[in-house]
This record gives sequence, structure tokens and C-alpha cells, in this order.
Amino acid sequence: MSLSCCGAVNEMRGRTDFVFALAGNPNVGKSSIFNTLTGTGAVTANYPGKTVEINVAATRLADLRIGLVDLPGTYALGAVSEDQWVARQGILDGNPDVVIVILDATNLTRNLYMLLQLLDMGFPVVAALNLFDQARKKGIEIDVGGLSRILGIPVIPTVATHGEGLETLLGAAVEAARASRGGGSRACAAATPASPVTRYGADIEQVVSRLSADIGRMLNGRAPHVGVRGLALLLLENDAQFTEIVREADQGPELLRVVQSAAEQIQREHGEEASLRIIRERHGLAGSIAEQVQSRGRDRELFSQRLWRLTTSPLTGMPILAAALAGIFAFLFVVGDFLARAFSSLWALVLSPLIQGAIHAAAGNTVFAKILIWGPDAGIQASLAVGIPYVLTFYFLLAFLEDSGYLNSVAFLTDRIMHRFGLHGRSIIPLVAGAGCNVPAIIGTRVLTTLRERTIASTLIVLVPCSARTAVVLGALAGLAGWQWGIAVFALMGVLVAVSGVALNKVMPGQSSGLVMEMFPFRMPSLKSIAVKTWHRFKDFIFVATPIVLGGSLALGALYETGLIWKLSGPLAPIMEGWLGLPAVAGLTLIFAILRKELALQLLLTLAIVRYGPHTKSLLDFMVPAQLFVYALVNTIYIPCVATVAVLGRELGWRRAAGIVAFTITLALLVGGAARWGLRALGIG
Amino acid sequence: MESPVVEEYLEAIYKLAGDRKKLGTTELGKELAVSPASATEMMERLVDKGLAEKSRDRGIVLTRRGRKAALDLIRRHRISERFLVDVLGMDWKDVHEEACRLEHVLSPEVESRMTALLTKTDTCPHGHPIPDKLGRTAEPPARRLSSLKRDQGGVIAKIAEEKRDLLEYLATLGMMPDAPVRVEQVAPFEGPLLVRVKGATYALGREIAEKIWVRENEK
Repeated sequence: MSLSCCGAVNEMRGRTDFVFALAGNPNVGKSSIFNTLTGTGAVTANYPGKTVEINVAATRLADLRIGLVDLPGTYALGAVSEDQWVARQGILDGNPDVVIVILDATNLTRNLYMLLQLLDMGFPVVAALNLFDQARKKGIEIDVGGLSRILGIPVIPTVATHGEGLETLLGAAVEAARASRGGGSRACAAATPASPVTRYGADIEQVVSRLSADIGRMLNGRAPHVGVRGLALLLLENDAQFTEIVREADQGPELLRVVQSAAEQIQREHGEEASLRIIRERHGLAGSIAEQVQSRGRDRELFSQRLWRLTTSPLTGMPILAAALAGIFAFLFVVGDFLARAFSSLWALVLSPLIQGAIHAAAGNTVFAKILIWGPDAGIQASLAVGIPYVLTFYFLLAFLEDSGYLNSVAFLTDRIMHRFGLHGRSIIPLVAGAGCNVPAIIGTRVLTTLRERTIASTLIVLVPCSARTAVVLGALAGLAGWQWGIAVFALMGVLVAVSGVALNKVMPGQSSGLVMEMFPFRMPSLKSIAVKTWHRFKDFIFVATPIVLGGSLALGALYETGLIWKLSGPLAPIMEGWLGLPAVAGLTLIFAILRKELALQLLLTLAIVRYGPHTKSLLDFMVPAQLFVYALVNTIYIPCVATVAVLGRELGWRRAAGIVAFTITLALLVGGAARWGLRALGIG
Repeated sequence: MESPVVEEYLEAIYKLAGDRKKLGTTELGKELAVSPASATEMMERLVDKGLAEKSRDRGIVLTRRGRKAALDLIRRHRISERFLVDVLGMDWKDVHEEACRLEHVLSPEVESRMTALLTKTDTCPHGHPIPDKLGRTAEPPARRLSSLKRDQGGVIAKIAEEKRDLLEYLATLGMMPDAPVRVEQVAPFEGPLLVRVKGATYALGREIAEKIWVRENEK
């Protein structure tokens, strides 16, 4: 479910007494706080064309209804990256009563940077000093009262994973919101910051206050959103968005000339661009504030840090990665398989007879009734058997890996290999996930920043055999023709993924972006946070996949029950028989398999029974091992299932999705044909 | 030329600034063996003269003029040492005290005639670089961050990047000229580097680490 950010926040404002935005650096426990406060009722919203989302939900404090906007975690509020842009726009559009900044108590210096930026922009700010317990463990003591005095805002120590301090935090935010509503709008915020201590160097402040006066005069007090001081700093920082807004004002061009000469003055005096100078001053101020309020004992290395060091060191990291990947795969297989069985038998025992009974009661034993049964019965059973169990298990794993911080270690170790494919380290996890189910894996490519990277990663994911395709390879090929045939398919797919990656990197315009990623020490994730995260994503998947599976099943049911499907097999003969050397009806099963990849196998058996009678013991009566090999190969490569296509379309746009589908069909026919003629040339089959 | 006392202060501030800690009058007094009170008093004179100022993040810093005066003094000191050793044939271990007196009295005319007699003018006999008239020293050459090994570190000299977006993004993380960095780990197969900046650790891809030039820590 996707809403526009503005719409979602405004709708929330109508239902609540206050709206607070949660801002902070990545991985400071911001989402933990959001999830703990709001539970599972969050709505996800995004800006058109942006993949970074914000979450909106409501909570209560005593009899007050409070709306919370969870902004993406960022290091600053510039306009230079998508996450920063969305975070900033979320604050500007959402116009929250208070911005709650979550600070990581273990790294106060870096975290104070964004808080200072928000204070500069004139927003009412309340700070949460999160991970307070972690800081203590590391031997860092923070004078909370002192920090609050220096910044001139309330500062509340919190431990989000245990829910400590969160009510106090909300209470402080409500107080601040009431105070700011009483104190007039922030458009007339003073040119000097509220707290005299949060000032930059004297010469910078001089330029800023002079410029603030000019802004007040030239824009007639209509500084957009951020107050005159905030606007003065943003313009000196050469902020693209605000420079454009000002340019359109009456005296805008003149004001920009004043800004430029002020920026030149700073550059002359400091020997670096004004924007960089302001960034430097802000870092300096953050550092000096942090120094005043924190005392460091001996810097203790925690167990989690030692463990983390092991996972990033080349000698130990690679074996740990291999073990972790095997673990992920095993967990997906075991838990996913268990859930699949449990769901399927539950469905077959309880719901399926009910639905069939209802349909027959309503429509009798007609062709129409049979078609209807394909939809809600066979269709939903299909997603219960394949999609849902693996998707749910995978989302759980993904949330765990994300929250624990291990994903970053993995990205660090595999960055080099992924570069060959035009990707970087963060793409390894979606690729591995593809072996469980392609659908969540493709959604997982959201961790990548550019559309180019997401397209390459999604194309490669589609070539990774998911659990359903693995079932066909194992069941139809390895089981009947011998394990070496199965291994050959997997090996060939590995080669195809690598070759396609290198080729796509060459063919697609642009280049891979560089990796700049903060590395976090491991943290014990909170089960509640993982559960909420898993549910958010899973809910999304259900909304996308279910209607498509239902519709697809109905359409295929109609073709099957009316017999139309058999007429369609005629045109397939030249390709199936002439080029791939397979029985034409096998082509039909491949078409059915668009719905569910393992359906191919079941239908093939059914067809074999129809054709050769009930004495048929195995597919080997129907096809020789070489044919089965070609069949399994084509089934593995060509078009992913309908749910994958749908998710490709939603995530990358339908044009790119169509491109990927066409690519896989071509590749399947080429590789399938090559395998057939190759095997024949070798005298096999 | 400023008075010898002022010059000694400027030199001390210049040298202590290399420590990259916040410089206060206490440390300054200690360096010059005077009381904090007289250091404070002198500091006010320097500010009045426009030679030094107080900055938020680094404490006492020199202005452009103050820095120029300090470098002039250092140059006269080291040129004197060179002259005493190379031309007058004194032992290099003994020349420091002599040069401490000469540095305050050399006129620009005498200085340039002394320099004319020297063949080697880039370092003093003790190996310290001699700044030229524009205050430039032959600084240790910068290296690419990507060429550093595990546990090596330095100070960012420059970031060779045209794109403002990336420059500003790195700057907000604290990766900007003069910031200390240290390499914590290097991934296998020419992979990314783990770099420690401002109390946080980042994974930097090669292509970005190659653009960051680092000068190794001065001793």
C-alpha cells in the first residue's frame, strides 16, 4: 500500500492532537522506538519516484492521540541523497509540532550534527538519548542535564529495546509542542539560535545575522518554513532546493547576489567554500558540545565488537559468511518447508472442502463452477504452498539480519565480487534470498540506491532458482535421471547469473555507485521490532500477490476447463518439437507453470498419465533423461512466476519488467536449444 | 617584525596547533614556561593585533597574518641553523641556541644574503622543512587512502572529487580536509576499506577511497 507522504501525514493530522516526526542517524534505534510506540498499525507512504519510504502511525499518551512520522535514518538533512531528501521533505511537508531527534549515546559527536541542523532550521526539537545502556557498558557517561542546558531543549535518556524512557519522551514532546504553539509560528524565529551556546564561529555568525536581516527585509518576513537563520545558512550552504524557492520570490535574484558575496567573503577568510566551512563549523560545535557533556572511562571492547571484528577480518570473515549463507539457506528450507506443509494440510483439511462445497452449492457441477474452483481454492492453495511460507520465513530472517548488523559485514566482504556485476556489497543478500523466493528478494533490492543497480540485481535474482524451481529440478530430473543432471542445472544457472551480471554491467549505461556505508557493531535485535518489521513487509506482499494469483488461476482455469488450452498447444509445436526436442504438450505445462513453477512437474505427470494410461510409472516413459534435462533447464530460466512479474512491474516499472521477461524467454530458448543440440552432438540422449 | 616575545608566542601556537587538540592558555603557558595569567594577557594582545583569535572548536588559532609571522620566524631560525653549520662549520647539535637568538634580529636583507650563500635550503640541519617566503613547506607527500594498510592513518589532505553531492555527503560524515582518518581493515581482493572517522566506522569502496588523499600523521 502506497500513499503520498503529504496525504498520509495530513490524514494523520486530522485524527490526532499532535504530530511528531522521528529523525535520527541510521541504526540508532529510531524504528525500534517507532514500532514500540505504535505497534502494527503503520501506513507506509512514499514520494513519487522515490524508493525510500516513511512510516506513519498513531499512538496514545494518556488521553492524547499522537501521530508519529518515522523518517528515514540519515546523517544530515541536505538534498544530496534520496534518503536525506525524503527525510527533509517529510519534515517540511509534514510540518510536525515537534521533531524528536534520536541520538546514539555511544557516538554523540556524529549524532549531534543533524540535531544542530534541525535547530538551525528553527524546528522545535526534543532529543532522545538512545542506547543509553550501551554507552554505559562502553564506559561513556553523559551529563544529560548539561546537554539539555547547552542545547536549550529537553533531552530524555532512553533504551528503546526495553521501552525505557519512551513515555517520558512523548510527554516532553507534548510539553514542547504546547509551548511552541503558544509561542507563535516559527517563520518569525529569531536570527540567533535559542541557546547562545549553539553558535558557530564569530565571523560566520556575523555573516549569518547580516544575511538574516537582508532576508527579513527582502522577503517581507516570508522565509519559507525554516526561519530566517535557517534560510540564511541553507543559502550559504548553496542548498539547491531553497536557492530555487528564493529565486522565484520578488526580490529573490537580488537576495541571491547578496548571499553570493557573503559566501565569497567566507571563502576568502577561510580558504574553503562557504558550504564546507559551515559543515566544518557544525562538526566542530557538535564535537565541543559532546566533549563538554561526556566523560569517557576506559574504552572497553565489548564482546559484540570482538565478534564483529571477526566477521570483517578477511581470514575469519569469509568462512563465517559461507556458514551464515548455508545457515540462511537451511533455515529457509526447513522452516519454509514446515510452514508450507502445515498451511497446505490445514487448507486441504478445513477450508478447501468448505470453499468447494460453497461453490458447488451455488453453481452446481457446471464448467463455470470448475473454473471458479481454480481461483479461490487452487490459487490460494498455491500461494499457501509456495509463496507465503517462504516469503514469511525470509522476511523474518531479513529483519533479523538487518537489526543485528551482520548485513553490513556481508556487504563489506562481498563488495569486490559484486562490482563485477555493476553492483556493490549490499546486493548479496537479495541474491541469496532469491533461492528461497524471488518475490521478497526483488523487494529487498530496495537497499540499493540507483535504478540501474536495482534492475541488474532484479534480473540476476530472476535467474536464481527459487524453491519451487528447485523442486522441479530435484523432483523431475535428479530424482529420475540421476543427481548429476540436477547438479548440472544448478552449475549452469550459476554460470548464467555470473555471465549475465558481467554482460548487464557492460550493456547498461552508467556505472556502479561507490560504497559509503556506516558499519555498526552487533546489537541484539528486539523480537518485537523484528516481528513488526516482518509483518509490515509481509502485508505488502499479500496485497500484491494475492489478487494476481487469484486472477491468474481463474484465467488458466477457464482455458483448461473449456479445452481452449489444447488448441493453444498447436502453435507451440515448432518451438517445442523442432528446436527443443520436447513433446508439444510439455510446452503447455510450461505455460501453466507461469502461475506456479512447480506446477509444471505435477501437470507433466498428469499429462503422462492421460496419454499413456494409469500404468505409467514415471516420466521416463514420456521423456528420456536428456529431454528432462532440457525441460528442467527451460523451466528454470524462462519467465519467473506471475507473482514475480507483478512485483518486478511494481518495483521497476512495467517497461523494465517486460524487458526482463523477454530476456528470460530468449535466454531459456537459446540455452535450452543449445543444451539439446549439444547433448545430441555428444551422443547423449 | 614583531617583538621577540610576540614572535615566541606565535611560534608556540603554530607548533601546538599541530597537536589537533583544543589549545588553551594553560597549555600555551606550559609550552613557554610562563604562568597561565600572563599567557592570557598576551593572548589578548595577540587578538588586538589581529595575529590570533579564539575559535570554538580548536581554541587559540592564528590568523592568516599571525601564521605568516610564525612561519617567517621559523624560516629565519632554520636558515640561521643552516648558515651556522654549512658556512661557519659549527656542529649541528650546538646551533639551536644560537639560532634562537638570531631569528629575532635578522633583517630581510641579511636573511636573503645568508640564503644566497647556502646550497641546501629545503630543510634545517635537523631535518625540519624550511618554509619559503610564502609560508610553503615541502610537506610530506599525500597518498591515496586506498594505498594505506591496516592500522595506518593520517589526516585528509584533499578529496579529489568534482561532484558536489558526494563531497558534501562525505563532509557531513566528517570526511573533509584536516580530518584524521585511520584504516581499520581492508577487504580481500582489493575490496573496500574500513575507515574510522570521528568515532564511527565506514566501509568505503575503492573508487571512493582512491579519491581521498591522506597525509600521514606528523610526528
